[in-house]
Amino acid sequence: MLLAVLIANSEGNILVERFNGVPAEERLHWRSFLVKLGADNLKGVKNEELLVASHKSVYIVYTVLGDVSTFVVGKDEYDELALAEAIFVITSALKDVCGKPPTERLFLDKYGKICLCLDEIVWKGLLENTDKERIKRLVRLKPPTEF
Amino acid sequence: MAQPFVKKDDDRDDEAEYSPFMGIEKGAVLQEARVFNDPQLDARRCSQVITKLLYLLNQGETFTKTEATEVFFAVTKLFQSRDTGLRRMVYLMIKEISTSADEVIIVTSSLMKDMNSRTDMYRANAIRVLCQITDGTLLTQIERYLKQAIVDKNPVVASAALVSGIHLLQTNPEIVKRWSNEVQEAVQSRAALVQFHALALLHQIRQNDRLAVSKLVTSMTKGSVRSPLAQCLLIRYTNQVIRESGVNTQSGDRPFYDYIEGCLRHKAEMVIFEAARAITEFSNVTARELTPAITVLQLFLSSSKPVLRFAAVRTLNKVAMTHPMAVTNCNIDMESLISDQNRSIATLAITTLLKTGNESSVDRLMKQITNFMSDIADEFKIVVVEAIRSLCLKFPLKYRSLMNFLSNILREEGGFEYKKAIVDAIVILIRDIPDAKESGLLHLCEFIEDCEFTYLSTQILHFLGNEGPKTSDPSKYIRYIYNRVILENATVRASAVSTLAKFGAMVESLKPRIFILLRRCLFDNDDEVRDRATLYFITLGGDGPVVETDESVKDFLFGSLDIPLANLETGLKNYIQDPSEEPFDVNSVPKEVKSQPLAEKKAPGRKPTGLGTLPAGPTSAADAYERLLSSIPEFASFGKLFKSSVLELTEEETEYAVNVVKHIFDQHVVFQYNCTNTIPEQLLENVTVIVDASEAEEFSEVASKPLRSLPYDTPGQIFVAFEKPQGVPTVGKFSNMLRFTVKEVDTSTGEPEDDGVEDEYRLEDFEVVAADYMLKVGVSNFRNAWESMGPDCERIDEYGLGSRESLTEAVNAVIELLGMQPCEGTEVVPSNSRSHTCLLSGVYIGNVKVLVRLSLGIDGAKEVAMKLAVRSEDENVS
Repeated sequence: MLLAVLIANSEGNILVERFNGVPAEERLHWRSFLVKLGADNLKGVKNEELLVASHKSVYIVYTVLGDVSTFVVGKDEYDELALAEAIFVITSALKDVCGKPPTERLFLDKYGKICLCLDEIVWKGLLENTDKERIKRLVRLKPPTEF
Repeated sequence: MAQPFVKKDDDRDDEAEYSPFMGIEKGAVLQEARVFNDPQLDARRCSQVITKLLYLLNQGETFTKTEATEVFFAVTKLFQSRDTGLRRMVYLMIKEISTSADEVIIVTSSLMKDMNSRTDMYRANAIRVLCQITDGTLLTQIERYLKQAIVDKNPVVASAALVSGIHLLQTNPEIVKRWSNEVQEAVQSRAALVQFHALALLHQIRQNDRLAVSKLVTSMTKGSVRSPLAQCLLIRYTNQVIRESGVNTQSGDRPFYDYIEGCLRHKAEMVIFEAARAITEFSNVTARELTPAITVLQLFLSSSKPVLRFAAVRTLNKVAMTHPMAVTNCNIDMESLISDQNRSIATLAITTLLKTGNESSVDRLMKQITNFMSDIADEFKIVVVEAIRSLCLKFPLKYRSLMNFLSNILREEGGFEYKKAIVDAIVILIRDIPDAKESGLLHLCEFIEDCEFTYLSTQILHFLGNEGPKTSDPSKYIRYIYNRVILENATVRASAVSTLAKFGAMVESLKPRIFILLRRCLFDNDDEVRDRATLYFITLGGDGPVVETDESVKDFLFGSLDIPLANLETGLKNYIQDPSEEPFDVNSVPKEVKSQPLAEKKAPGRKPTGLGTLPAGPTSAADAYERLLSSIPEFASFGKLFKSSVLELTEEETEYAVNVVKHIFDQHVVFQYNCTNTIPEQLLENVTVIVDASEAEEFSEVASKPLRSLPYDTPGQIFVAFEKPQGVPTVGKFSNMLRFTVKEVDTSTGEPEDDGVEDEYRLEDFEVVAADYMLKVGVSNFRNAWESMGPDCERIDEYGLGSRESLTEAVNAVIELLGMQPCEGTEVVPSNSRSHTCLLSGVYIGNVKVLVRLSLGIDGAKEVAMKLAVRSEDENVS
């Protein structure tokens, strides 16, 4: 299960937060844990360089793109490698929507599109789409080209 | 709650200074949502409002029931618009805010229409939304469409239906299971993701049918798998099949090994890893199987991508637990990871190295770790400390450098959990490595000089009180202890007073000085400290001439409370409820243990660790047994308990669960039958165990202690004692029959009927074997111990052990048979080796030290030969 996708700005304020199968009372804990993880480790990291951590049996892969940092949390079959795949899809979709590594402003301007992309990529904790070209078409309700 | 949006730094360009959501407020957005009701819909504006709503939701904002309902109804109006962008937003919004089933009904017709739309993308999205908001009844209505969708030629529609199926399987499994044929067809799809989702769903549908999973795996491994993701799933399922089918015993081949090994050469890293991990997880994996997997993992250790390094080192760390030798080739690569930027990777690398390293590399490793420790978080440090603890027990000769390391880190900054881990480690080293005792105690003393944690200070003081007096120069600890009385809070002061008293009781020469110190504590401003000081001062005889401490006083100081705490609590409560002039008499509290904790049964032989198991209370099993037996008058004269071991006498989940604890004394054995009645409708009375000792001729029954009543789910104990020749390892077989009177119980009232029926229940037989007379006691330096025993009382013999699966199995069997403690990690047989030497030590009944050198060899036909060399303090024992 892909437990969480969280996108924050460079100061650790949450921009997007989507949990799956995480009880409401644990979400706050996860949020602060992830934000702290980012604050401790993401300084000076190159765009899209993946960082990894584990907390008990849960894995976390996270990265930075422009002004925003993205965290994905998973367990069981969503181990570090599956999460790396998921975060790769998310960052490429972000770049695609924003046209470049986004500033926070740009991210917020494209907020609706980004939500749609995330909806296509992860649905209730399962990875659904992985190809950015396809995602780009799907959010506009266009069928995929390969079809 | 959502964190407020914070404006960016001023040095950004102008556009960044203003956020589209600045000052966003829920109430205002809900007002804005009224545009959804306009007869002339402005699609752009509606999209903007939905975006704002999504922003609020994604920030963790919650809507009340009324608010959600209102928005939900308004959003459904948007189905009228033909704008595709807006429609896509509407689908998302409904999923995010879908409320109760009775409201959902309004959108179902719109969604059903979309689900049959000629526009593919409407179909895909409508399926996803419907499946999220649907319940069982609606699902049966739309099932037909979903089945069609699974085999739809548009991959997005098929995937939507398949992923919906995965979710619905949790709530409506019986419906989803009917889609098997369609899913099976989708597995053959040429679209990569459809195949991936179909494979996952098909496996979930069939996961309880081993044959079907095996068939699925067989056909898939032969066919073409179109995406790395699906390939990973397939490897996982294959591994499951391998686990369940086991190795082909005739050819020695593992089914599907070739397939998994082939995946190690796949172009996607994800697949390579999955295959390598699968191989490392094989049960009884051979070195030949393991090597290619370790080789690819080793390559990834030096990858530039942290995720790959992490995955590799994490897998190798696991392998190191079971096959340390297989990982040693990677040690050089692993050492370079100690300085990895990513602390998770560095910690895993270190703990792996600590598992695979040999005695000679310890010092070098410790040097590297010292630099590393200063810049990692406590949680990682704890992992390292635990790894060092086990390393030290593995190589006791290295205790000096490891103890130094522990004492150094003890001095540095750190939180409670971390400090506790270090103190626990030092305590265990002191306990298991006699040579380490004095230096370890001094390190602990220095630590409490500047310890901010009351809990740790008191625990260390308690430990010091028990161990300190037995050292060569107990006086050197007094200063540290008395400093606590001067400098610390009341809790620590009270502990320090108790510790001082223990030194006074045990070390006669220190007694006058201890009296001086205790006298100073008599005027402490805390009640407890004062009371303790007075009590000890008087019991040790501080008010008279200095005489040798009485045994009873020592018992009082060192012995633990031999009354079950629960009984004492009940006793005190009764006393308070019913006040009297008489003072409370502790002797009036029954010593019999009413019920035995179930945990003990679940975890027999649980190894005690750390401070928590100091003889402070009813912690270690041996202590608890000793106390229990000595509290029973019939057994009180049997002397010191030598060894206790637990055996199950019934299968799991039988009517009556019974296990036996064999307690070995010098001239007696006591069988303690722990019985649990698992039938709520029954009460057992006058429960006895009839033991037939006809196959144990040298044992004669001397006492039996039946159980008056055994209610449902309340464990009780029956004891039977036998006499046996003194000091001789008498063996024999015992058969057992549980005899009792059953009474029916009315479960509604809990009242038993008056009349009962006599009944019997056969228990399994068990034996008293030679290993019961041997205690597992390790030695810190086997060679020294061996040399010091000398060859005079050595016996050597050779045995053939017949055909065995592997050397490991043979070694384990012999260890089990002898009941001795393997030393210096020699119980681990390197995989594929043809000969092995295992060192064992133990203490035989009569307190005789025994050492064994076990040399084993295995030949091509798996015949194992063994040479056993024994040295002991007593020739007869050898």
